[in-house]
Amino acid sequence: MTTVLYVFMRLWTVVYVATGSERIGGLNQAQILWYLVATESILMSMPRLWYEIDQEVRTGQLAVQLIRPLSYAAAHFGRSLGERVVRFVINLAAGSLVALILVGPISLSAMGLAMFLIVLPMAFIIDFLAALLIGLCAFWLESTQGIALIYSRLMMVLGGLLVPINVYPESVQPWLRALPFAAILDAPARILVNPSAHVFVQCLILQIACLTIYGIGAYALHSIALRRLFVNGG
Amino acid sequence: MRTLTNYLSLTGSYVRFNFRAQLEYRGAFFSQVAAMFINDGVWVVFWILFFKRFPVLHGWQVEDVIGLWAILTAGFGLAFGLMGNTLSIASIVAQGELDGWLLQPRAVLPHMLLGRSAPSAWGDALFGYVVYVGFVRPDWQRMVAFVLLSLAVGVVFIGFGVLSGSLSFFIGNAGALADQWRNTMISFATYPPTLFQGAVKILLYTAIPAGFASYLPVETLRQMSWGYALLTVCGALGMLAVGAGTFYLGLRRYESGNLISMNG
Repeated sequence: MTTVLYVFMRLWTVVYVATGSERIGGLNQAQILWYLVATESILMSMPRLWYEIDQEVRTGQLAVQLIRPLSYAAAHFGRSLGERVVRFVINLAAGSLVALILVGPISLSAMGLAMFLIVLPMAFIIDFLAALLIGLCAFWLESTQGIALIYSRLMMVLGGLLVPINVYPESVQPWLRALPFAAILDAPARILVNPSAHVFVQCLILQIACLTIYGIGAYALHSIALRRLFVNGG
Repeated sequence: MRTLTNYLSLTGSYVRFNFRAQLEYRGAFFSQVAAMFINDGVWVVFWILFFKRFPVLHGWQVEDVIGLWAILTAGFGLAFGLMGNTLSIASIVAQGELDGWLLQPRAVLPHMLLGRSAPSAWGDALFGYVVYVGFVRPDWQRMVAFVLLSLAVGVVFIGFGVLSGSLSFFIGNAGALADQWRNTMISFATYPPTLFQGAVKILLYTAIPAGFASYLPVETLRQMSWGYALLTVCGALGMLAVGAGTFYLGLRRYESGNLISMNG
């Protein structure tokens, strides 16, 4: 993360100097770097859930989980979310330290922090459901690594990991804001560094829509996948 | 000359063997190749969108960054598509798995490196060539230069991979450290060199040799300069010499894992 933050600090320094603007996409240079700390912390905290599910399906370990009095998805949900929170806190602390050294502090409001703490868990859950959907594809595919890689890259570019969506050309911004990736990265990070009630409401609506669609998708795929399960004794 | 032909023939045999092994799971192989191609494509889309908003970045334009991605991915893909074990040297050494290679009647380093192919690397290689031909539309001189430079970049990656992986000889299991070091180099190599100045620039031609993997090759292609081409080749050979030297120095400290395994 240190390397990425350093490289982007240099990139934005050059951009701000070249354009002569104080604000780009509504954020000043320090806010952009803190935005990056937030998005990187969210993305890097995701455990490799899809890989765990992939391996459990391939090795048959899935059967052990199925005899427990807790649904397979719920068990992963608890484990994944617990791990993610710890990883997020560590990443955020490390990233904040680097950002403090590179650009200094920015002012955070109590309202912004409160809104961030509401949308962040929702973002984690949406990301969990997406990883569950990818992992469950192991019932049909030889490897889910490819889909996971594409998902993470789409998240990076279309979700605003490196560049806030407001900085993209105006013609593509409405499309990007309507995608689930924005509800996981761009909107929560923006709410943290530059809080706005409008962005918060927009983010909540998108998150609820994503949760509903992903939730229904994951439930359906989970049911279909378990019907395809063959466990050989051993 | 005979030794060179001999090793080229060995390389050809390993490439065929590794391809056949991967095609056993052809769905997984092609999906990984396609995914890596798309992954690289997503980055290029990012840069296209970025340059739409900020058309010039310290003299660099979108075509230059696309050229940078093309040469970097082509070199990376060739390196690890052909010599995929470069990525695993640290764990091979730490787990005492070199024993099998030490018993073979070939030089241990090239033989071990050829032993595995990273499937997704072929997606990188394919991407590099397709993007360069498709976006940059080079004349034949530039195309020849691109092919030769991609080989030099591949040599940089092999040399640096061997160097970072060889840390395991000296400090125990250095897998995470080697990955981190390699990823740092790749991170720097994917951004225009004009962003960096001062001491960092020195680092980029020494401890983190991103300069030899992307900056010099790209300048060679931009200016069609023999000087930059020579620097790139010297950098690649130097990196390979440092990597191989460190490996063989470390090999003296290697302790067998007494590992019993069946290679089929």
